[in-house]
Amino acid sequence: MTVKIGIDVGGTFTDLVAALPDRGQVLHHKEPSTPGDPSLAVVTGMATLLSRADLGADQVTGVTHGTTIGLNAIIQRRGARIALIVTEGYRDVLEIGRSRMPSSFDLYAGKEEPLVPRERIVEIAARLAPGGAPATVPDEGELDRVAARVAASGADAAALIVLHGYADPSFEEGIAERLRDRLPGLPLMAAATIWPEVREYERALVACLNAYIQPLMREYFARLESGLTGLGVTAPIFISASNGGSLSLRSAAERPIETVLSGPASGVTAAVRLATAAGVGNIVTFDMGGTSSDIAVTVGGSPEFATHTTVGGLPLIVPVIAVNAIGAGGGSVIWADEHGVLKAGPDSAGADPGPVAYGRGGTRPTVTDCYLVTGVIDPATFLGGRMPLDAAASAKALDDLSTTLAVPRTQDDGPARAHADSPTRASVPHRIDDGTPGAPSEQGGTPARASVTRDTLAHAGRRTDSEPPAHRTLDNTPDGALEGAHAVAAGALRVATAGMATELQKIMAQRGLDPREFTLVPFGGAGPTHAALLAAEVGIGHIVVPPDAATFCALGAAGADLRRDLARSLRRRLDDAGAVRLREVLSGLATEARTWLTAQNRDGGPTEEPAAETGTVTLSCSADMRYSGQAYELRVALPSEWLDGGDGLDAAVIAEAFHTEHERLYGFRDATAPIELGTARLAVTGAAGPMPAVAVPPGAGAPRPGRRRDILLGDTWHTADVHSRVLLGAGDAFDGPAIVEQDDTTVLVPPGWSVSVDAAGNLHLHLRGRN
Amino acid sequence: MRLDPVTLEIVGNRLGALTEEMCLTLQRTSRSLYVKETADFCCALAGVDGGFAAYPRGIGVSGFVGLNCLTAVRAAGPLEPGDVIITNDPYRSGGLATHLTDIQLIEPYFHDGEIVGYGWAFIHCSDIGGRVPSSLSPTNDEIYQEGLQIPPVKLVRAGRPNHDVELLLSANSRTPEANLGDIRAMLAALRTGRERLAGVIAQHGVRTLLTAQDDLIDYTARKASAALSRLGEGTHRFVDYLDDDAVSRVPVRLSVTATLAAGRLHLDFTGTDPQVAAAFNIATLGTAHAWITTRVLALICTLDPDIALNAGLMRPISVTVPEGSLVNPVRPAAVGVRHAAASRVNDAVGGALGLAAPDVLPAASSGLVVPVVVAEHTHAGQNVQVLEPMVGGTGARLGSDGVDGRDSGISNLSNNPVETVETEIGVEILRYGLRRDSGGAGRWRGGCGLELTFRVLGDNSRLLARGLERLCFRPWGAVGGRPGAPTELIVDPGTPRERRHLKIDVLPLERGSVVTLLTSGAGGYGDPLLRDPAAVLRDVERGVVSIKAAASDYGVIIEESAGVLTLGAPARPVTPEGGGPGSEFGPERVAWESVFDVESVDRLVAGLFALPHADRSPRRTAVYAAALRHLPDDFPRTPAAPDRVRISRQALTDEILKLEHGE
Repeated sequence: MTVKIGIDVGGTFTDLVAALPDRGQVLHHKEPSTPGDPSLAVVTGMATLLSRADLGADQVTGVTHGTTIGLNAIIQRRGARIALIVTEGYRDVLEIGRSRMPSSFDLYAGKEEPLVPRERIVEIAARLAPGGAPATVPDEGELDRVAARVAASGADAAALIVLHGYADPSFEEGIAERLRDRLPGLPLMAAATIWPEVREYERALVACLNAYIQPLMREYFARLESGLTGLGVTAPIFISASNGGSLSLRSAAERPIETVLSGPASGVTAAVRLATAAGVGNIVTFDMGGTSSDIAVTVGGSPEFATHTTVGGLPLIVPVIAVNAIGAGGGSVIWADEHGVLKAGPDSAGADPGPVAYGRGGTRPTVTDCYLVTGVIDPATFLGGRMPLDAAASAKALDDLSTTLAVPRTQDDGPARAHADSPTRASVPHRIDDGTPGAPSEQGGTPARASVTRDTLAHAGRRTDSEPPAHRTLDNTPDGALEGAHAVAAGALRVATAGMATELQKIMAQRGLDPREFTLVPFGGAGPTHAALLAAEVGIGHIVVPPDAATFCALGAAGADLRRDLARSLRRRLDDAGAVRLREVLSGLATEARTWLTAQNRDGGPTEEPAAETGTVTLSCSADMRYSGQAYELRVALPSEWLDGGDGLDAAVIAEAFHTEHERLYGFRDATAPIELGTARLAVTGAAGPMPAVAVPPGAGAPRPGRRRDILLGDTWHTADVHSRVLLGAGDAFDGPAIVEQDDTTVLVPPGWSVSVDAAGNLHLHLRGRN
Repeated sequence: MRLDPVTLEIVGNRLGALTEEMCLTLQRTSRSLYVKETADFCCALAGVDGGFAAYPRGIGVSGFVGLNCLTAVRAAGPLEPGDVIITNDPYRSGGLATHLTDIQLIEPYFHDGEIVGYGWAFIHCSDIGGRVPSSLSPTNDEIYQEGLQIPPVKLVRAGRPNHDVELLLSANSRTPEANLGDIRAMLAALRTGRERLAGVIAQHGVRTLLTAQDDLIDYTARKASAALSRLGEGTHRFVDYLDDDAVSRVPVRLSVTATLAAGRLHLDFTGTDPQVAAAFNIATLGTAHAWITTRVLALICTLDPDIALNAGLMRPISVTVPEGSLVNPVRPAAVGVRHAAASRVNDAVGGALGLAAPDVLPAASSGLVVPVVVAEHTHAGQNVQVLEPMVGGTGARLGSDGVDGRDSGISNLSNNPVETVETEIGVEILRYGLRRDSGGAGRWRGGCGLELTFRVLGDNSRLLARGLERLCFRPWGAVGGRPGAPTELIVDPGTPRERRHLKIDVLPLERGSVVTLLTSGAGGYGDPLLRDPAAVLRDVERGVVSIKAAASDYGVIIEESAGVLTLGAPARPVTPEGGGPGSEFGPERVAWESVFDVESVDRLVAGLFALPHADRSPRRTAVYAAALRHLPDDFPRTPAAPDRVRISRQALTDEILKLEHGE
């Protein structure tokens, strides 16, 4: 029997998923995280999950684990004390970077803190010529001198970069080997071995980042392995990678840099799998967690990759699934600036103290408090009732905030107010578009901050009569306080939505894509709650809410393929000799990739079974190319069948692939211009086995709501039907305004949207009047 | 403001996002070097009065937010839907274009037959013809040498491309295909803007849109005023110098008198030298133009980071720019390399405002951008490459050291990976790093400049380095801080063949020659004696300050033993060198002003401006020649003996008196 476990460690909860294809079953468990040693929650959670599944630890056939330890260490600059050894004359490769400042309009802007301070950077007389010939070779004396300097620096680990090292990685590795002999016990990694791509600054960073987080990661992996072994788990352990795949624990310990952005990537992997099964090719994933919201774009079933992302303010050129932050998360703080303008984020109350309603000492209201006060979530059923919320505290905090907002001057100029005091439909919620981009954030996105003043709020939540709505959820709060709290909460949600929408639209514009042709797949704790608000704002008319959306990243991990991306820069003319060289390099990468894949199965763990199911192996080739004299390169997909023998990839085929791509992007080709080959790329995937085909039983068609409650959207109260997700069956359909409650999240269905449930239990939300 | 603040906020943010989407469209559809690598482009939405109502943030060139489209719009005649105007002519577009390589497109946006705004896009194109490839050269002395001048004309007429204009453009550029590609990308951006604006009108109504344009500008203007109010009130004057005008050795003086009152700032450039017969002139057309107010905009945005970017930023700012001066030249003055002068205008404005608000403004940044270009002749023809765009650091300020080796004051350019540069051209880059001991000493240290050292591997190579500055007059310190080290350009340093150069036009290089460019450091802030000795030690550990300079500049003794650095005891036993009058500026400026003092040069400039325009430059040259005749050849780098100074001053006074008497 196949038992795949996926684990995703978050700030608040550690999510675990058991995928049991033979039973057609997926089981979920949320375990409170243990930030001091995250492996503790993993082990405890695993024990609980297995006992719920009635499985022994030895029956587990694979564990895939995502961790943010490396990412956090980079952001907070608390990784290892590392040294950098660099070609003579390039001591300041990190200080100068790409030379740009974070802001060109801020006289007080500083630059990012370098990963290695200048005094721990040691120069070495070693360099290659651009073609790869040794230009300066260090002698024994030079190696002794460098080793002594590194030893004196007190570094715990070191990275080595030689100028043009990408042209012949063995040169650099040879020097690294001779230095290791002189520095026993010191981990030392050569940049060109890790990532032989041209660009000395970015390549140096890959090596530095790897060295920087490696000790922490090794330590953690050891604890994890021993914890799981202690539990009786004998299955191989895999680690989620930033490219949406996974790699063996041993590989991850060697190359931890490939795992730093794995969390969001796993969610995208799961969404793509789900969407493909549901027949949807173009999706925007929307992961709304505690501190921020992330989106990723998938066209035709292939997620977008990025080779220019940032981590902790530093550029990263290793391919990762392109995930962009677009704004507030559930824990984002709602506040007012000195002009009385209401803002959502970018500060977050995080998991601790968390929203005011958590009652853990949080005093600043958050987006989650706004859901509560507007009736979107129910304090009694939040997280299946396992976490009671203090709605009165939320209302009080939001009401206090309302007194600090700017006083309205001319109410008559306000937007037309819709009001639906009756439980029947009001018009589509008042549309609002509002948001100011803030500072660039991780992954190149922009956490949006948006604003509204009390003027808007004066209209929001005001009722023409003084009757409270029929089903108050906040009836323990004094009415006077409610008025202000309602207004602020509804306004803040509009502000947060509008901020996300502008960022999403910009991301789509950058790619020349139209959001209206996409399906939104929300996940994370608040994704399904906020999805319809965001979709309406950007013109998306179809949403697929997966079952168990809150543990989606863990599900993605459980189903992740083995995957590795490789690259090697060539930098030469595309002629017959160039094509031969490209084939040699790609063949070399393919050999490396296959060896790696085999090793994953071997390294995975002490098991007699083959670790990953021997799934389909896919190799895909591409190359970065340009017309001679152009300043930028295009990435061009190339055929890969020839790798298995046979011909095909000659200069003419390569050139045609480039001309075609250039024509697609820029509308013309230049058949006479010479073409330059930049970097050859190859990706290998070893397909994971099948995931369970979960089916929900058929429903009655039109489900009866369990309850009804009033929700405030924009400036209008609506009475919504409340459904329980577990009671919905395949084929069920109903209209908004409605709420679907489930153990780990709440799905908001605003008026104007219709819901249908498919065979796999996905909720499809359609904006009526759109397909 | 007439709209309620919520609607205003919503529409404002939508319009801001609209301009960013225009930029993203342009960036995606362009294949131009200047777009992909250096981001020398922008898009915005102008209101019906031609001022920008919405401007992108974080993408494109931020400094042009104060430009205005109206002159170009009027010049192009009555407009109908589907028209697109093209221009690159600074003098005929009211300063919208700032040099000929910046191609501007404007599209009127109509609603129900009425113009409701203008889309604007520009790209720095690769070449627009003229005397030299890439069109820009400091030694151009008339705009005719800088390329084709395109007055505002219709590139597209009612939706139909005007092929005559395209033919004319293509015939006058060395890179016609690339230019047409740029134009296509701009047209795509304008279309995005038009569609998004229609969406805003559909949602909010045209009345709201038009009202919002005014309100947004009002709102920003108020916030800008509030920011300026924080600088206090009063009038302060500051002068700074360009080392020379590229065609003579005589420095060019910039003078700024800043008056702060009631949330408004007036910048009076009276006392600035006449326009030069080189490409450094800034065509402001008499307005508070972007290139003379960059520092003020940066300051406002620093003090109020949330301020929406639009024409309101300029509203509290007014200027006096004498016609025929460097900052308001008369056609056909060349303007191609105006950013070099803009660096110095930045410093002069920053200096004047620093006198008003020393706790707010930093000392001078390194103040130069030098694209180091090598051209080589190979069997395949001429190969020209930018090795690195060299900058320096930023000035120190109250509470903070400057940034080492990076400066976004004029443009926030990316550098080039050495590994790609060495593949493209026959040079070996031996060192690219921070320049030790170049940051101005101070309680807070100025940012270090950079060093670039390379060896020439091929024959028939030449070095071009436009933008070389601060070789003579150092980036000044503030509040007792010392100036940064001056720029140096050395060929074959440390060999018997060593040569030191000042500004160069084109410098032939031999195979095997080694070239070192050291960019100026930025100014320090506050008395170096007050710097925390631990901070000095840290700088020495990092290697950006030498042990020797720690003692001579900061009075801090640092001992080295077995590779470990420690503070000597007592921490500060030495009184450092320097201090005293002029110590913020450095010896060159002190020496220069010992002859050419501010008051005398004020009289000289006033006298020159009384002459007919054409007579000013020759007369100025003659006056300086008469005075400099008595001074050492490389004065003021080499100071003059007191008697020489006296004779020279007498000669200057005589010349000024003759000028004042109309002789």
